Amino acid sequence: MTQTQAKARTLPDVLKDEARLPSIPEPAVIVIFGASGDLTARKLVPALYDLAQGRRLPMQFAIVGLSRTEMSHDEFRERLREALEKHRSGRFSDDVWESFSRGIFYLSGDSKKPETYRELKGFLGELDEERKTRGNRIFYLSASPSLFSTIVERLGEAGMNEGEEGGYARLVIEKPFGRDLASAKELNADIQRYFEEGQIYRIDHYLGKETVQNILALRFSNGIFEPVWNQHYVDHVQITVAEDLGVGTRGAFYEEAGALRDIVQNHVMQVLCLTAMEPPVAFDAESVREEKVKVLKAARPIPEGEVDQYAVRGQYASGWVWGEEVDGYREEEKVAPDSTTETYVALKVFVDNWRWAGTPFYIRTGKRLPKKATEIAIQFHPTPHTPFTREGTEGLEPNVLVVRVQPEEGISLKIGAKVPGSGFQVSSVNMDLVYGTAFLEEAPDAYQRLLLDLMLGDPTLFIRADEAEGAWRILEPVMRAWSGEREIPSYPAGTWGPEEADELLRRDGRRWRRP
Amino acid sequence: MIGESRSAPRGGAMSVEEIERELARLRANEDGTLSLRASVLNLIVVTDEGSAEDVTRSVSELAGRYPSRAIVLICDPGESETRLDIGLSAFCNIRGGTGGTQVCAEQVTVHAEGPPAHHLESLAGPLLIPDLPTFLWYPGHFSPRSPEFAAMATLVDRVILDSAASRDAEVSLGELAGLIGEEGTPAVGDLQWVALSPWRTLLAELFGSPERAGALDEVYRVEVLYGPGGESRAHLLVGWLATTLGWRLRAATRLGARAGGGHRLHFLGPVGEVIVAMDPNSPDAKLRRVRLYSEELSFQVSRHRELREARATVMRGEDLIGERTVHLGTFDLGVLVGEELRYRGRDEVYEAALITAARILSR
Ligand SMILES: NC(=O)c1ccc[n+]([C@@H]2O[C@H](COP(=O)([O-])OP(=O)(O)OC[C@H]3O[C@@H](n4cnc5c(N)ncnc54)[C@H](OP(=O)(O)O)[C@@H]3O)[C@@H](O)[C@H]2O)c1
Repeated sequence: MTQTQAKARTLPDVLKDEARLPSIPEPAVIVIFGASGDLTARKLVPALYDLAQGRRLPMQFAIVGLSRTEMSHDEFRERLREALEKHRSGRFSDDVWESFSRGIFYLSGDSKKPETYRELKGFLGELDEERKTRGNRIFYLSASPSLFSTIVERLGEAGMNEGEEGGYARLVIEKPFGRDLASAKELNADIQRYFEEGQIYRIDHYLGKETVQNILALRFSNGIFEPVWNQHYVDHVQITVAEDLGVGTRGAFYEEAGALRDIVQNHVMQVLCLTAMEPPVAFDAESVREEKVKVLKAARPIPEGEVDQYAVRGQYASGWVWGEEVDGYREEEKVAPDSTTETYVALKVFVDNWRWAGTPFYIRTGKRLPKKATEIAIQFHPTPHTPFTREGTEGLEPNVLVVRVQPEEGISLKIGAKVPGSGFQVSSVNMDLVYGTAFLEEAPDAYQRLLLDLMLGDPTLFIRADEAEGAWRILEPVMRAWSGEREIPSYPAGTWGPEEADELLRRDGRRWRRP
Repeated sequence: MIGESRSAPRGGAMSVEEIERELARLRANEDGTLSLRASVLNLIVVTDEGSAEDVTRSVSELAGRYPSRAIVLICDPGESETRLDIGLSAFCNIRGGTGGTQVCAEQVTVHAEGPPAHHLESLAGPLLIPDLPTFLWYPGHFSPRSPEFAAMATLVDRVILDSAASRDAEVSLGELAGLIGEEGTPAVGDLQWVALSPWRTLLAELFGSPERAGALDEVYRVEVLYGPGGESRAHLLVGWLATTLGWRLRAATRLGARAGGGHRLHFLGPVGEVIVAMDPNSPDAKLRRVRLYSEELSFQVSRHRELREARATVMRGEDLIGERTVHLGTFDLGVLVGEELRYRGRDEVYEAALITAARILSR
């Protein structure tokens, strides 16, 4: 007992000061713009509910929803409750909801109009009093991207870009971060007119996934991979983000976006950065994001006239996926019958730096591919010389290290081994380690993780302005070239993409792996 | 989780080599492929015939989250005849649907009767997988003074105990506190302490906002309501509050049965006297309610009678000024042990709380 007496009381709540207890964020209000929308009911509020139920939210916490639809607080709560019960069947508790929902409020208003913000400001002031939220505010923009700049401007004009009475103000931006480089820059500039970069949290939920974070753990907590993780040993890298689903009901949205904007600009570029980046000095926001930006900067610009040497797009036609016949993209709901929107993209990217000079990164993503899979395959150079006969090494291929993110998280290494018997036949064997199974613990939902980081003020897993712009810069020439084209290669649903994509690698004497 | 349990057909006495060979064979699939073994730790469990079934169930549940080589030692040293009986099983789960890889966790069950039951370390030692941390779990009664324990302790990195498993929680806390001070003792984890952590989180959070943190210094009265089986939790909680808040024990009174039993403790806090009233008369929950009174506010965490939820409140006089309801979590054996398996080193906060609790009880 005596040693604890001597301990200086530097922290206000000494009971909290312990590694084994989870850290709980400061009191705060989250204001959600676009509160009647899909994301709010399906992802945001369920993630906040789970955090509350799991004792990770402060007692003094409130959610204020804002959109144009007229609703009372109770109607809003009821709507969220219904969505929650649907998604949380069996894991929903009336008592927790009672207590949690008392902190949920709704304001109806047009986020284009200044009076909405006057009302909001007054309301937040009352909440500070009533629920002791201490002037800490999070503005979550879950409205349509076309409103982002306006909302930020209105917040700024109303003086809400700073927290009240010493509290903080943070701004969360959902993807897409612009439609191209110019609009991304414009958006960033618009936001930064009122908010400092340190207040801005651009969310790409991919980074909230445990499995994606594990790429960093694998690379930087294991000494044996790093020494061979470079052009001396690596022949090329393949990054695959494959989905088996089609566009479903999101046809209208997808027609505007396409695979390049929807997946490549954010998720795939993030995976590329995590794969290619240098070891950060520390796992903190600036160190990690600095290294990621360096990768994007080092990516070789694709020459405008040679886009077809580096990029392939495709669109799925009807076909069979997992025993089911499915429609082609142009037959999907709310899709133009002559649409040229791409549902598949393959790219060849060079990262021109000391580590990766001359090593191509082949990247592909698509919908209606044979299965859902995300993986990074590091293909090593063949041995410089083999002492065995050509006949004896027929089944032998160069080493491949595959980091699988989905579905079974793990790594596999293809190694050469002797085939038992007389003579000296060597063949490749796969050594598989499914480390996902080593910890069957249910990984928290990506939004839960990110919302908690946001409230704790840790932006490491969020996208910095220059990251978003850097990713667009790489894709810019490709988008320009494709926008002028009338034709798009097609591929039957349930196959690994158009023939042109195979050709992209064949020209280099390589081929795509089958994930 | 999809999974399948496989067990070796033979049992009886086996050599270490035979055991390893049989375990590898268990990983072989019908189609001739071999499932992988995933292991993050070795888990040794010492139990008796009566609890063996429950314990084995928890161990196979744990295999999902912490694939390990589990060595379950069911022993009866009282028998005079030597008997050694070995059972092998693997729990293999299929990942990634059809064509997915199978990963297996292994379990070796050793029934030891007679003299071998006094030398469990000689049975467990050779079966450990190298290079992995080793945990020793005593689900039931446990005597830290026994020579068997000392020998086992040398094999392991962490011992997981249940300070409420003994007939007398007070004695058990005292013995444990003694054990911790000794050199060479592995790190100790206590399931009762794990069960307290949601309570501790909630209590800490009550004072989380700066305007309330000050109230911590002003706490002058604490009431803890607990019930049968909750003695150890209640004392650890008080021990924790006292060490963390810097209260020094001045007097401890044991109340007689007529007064309802329990304890009345006088501490000297940073500002003044703190009285802790420990009331053991909750009929239905091991830990039912904790209340702290400061000059202006009162703080309470209480558990709903029959529900999984707990409620935390802050009152000013009769006014409710803060409230939240959360899940207290589940306290299944498997969950509690799993929680302990996450930690490797010594838990100094626990040790300090335990020592204080033992000191209070020795008054
Ligand atoms: N849904 C997803 O899975 C997903 C995934 C990643 C990113 N995102 C991004 O997240 C954001 C929200 O997506 P969502 O799917 O939730 O969209 P949504 O369902 O279309 O919701 C948009 C919301 O904005 C409100 N709104 C529109 N104009 C407004 C105005 N002038 N003033 C106030 N409120 C207005 C709408 O409500 P009222 O009509 O009532 O005003 C509606 O609640 C978008 O930026 C999207 O790109 C969504």
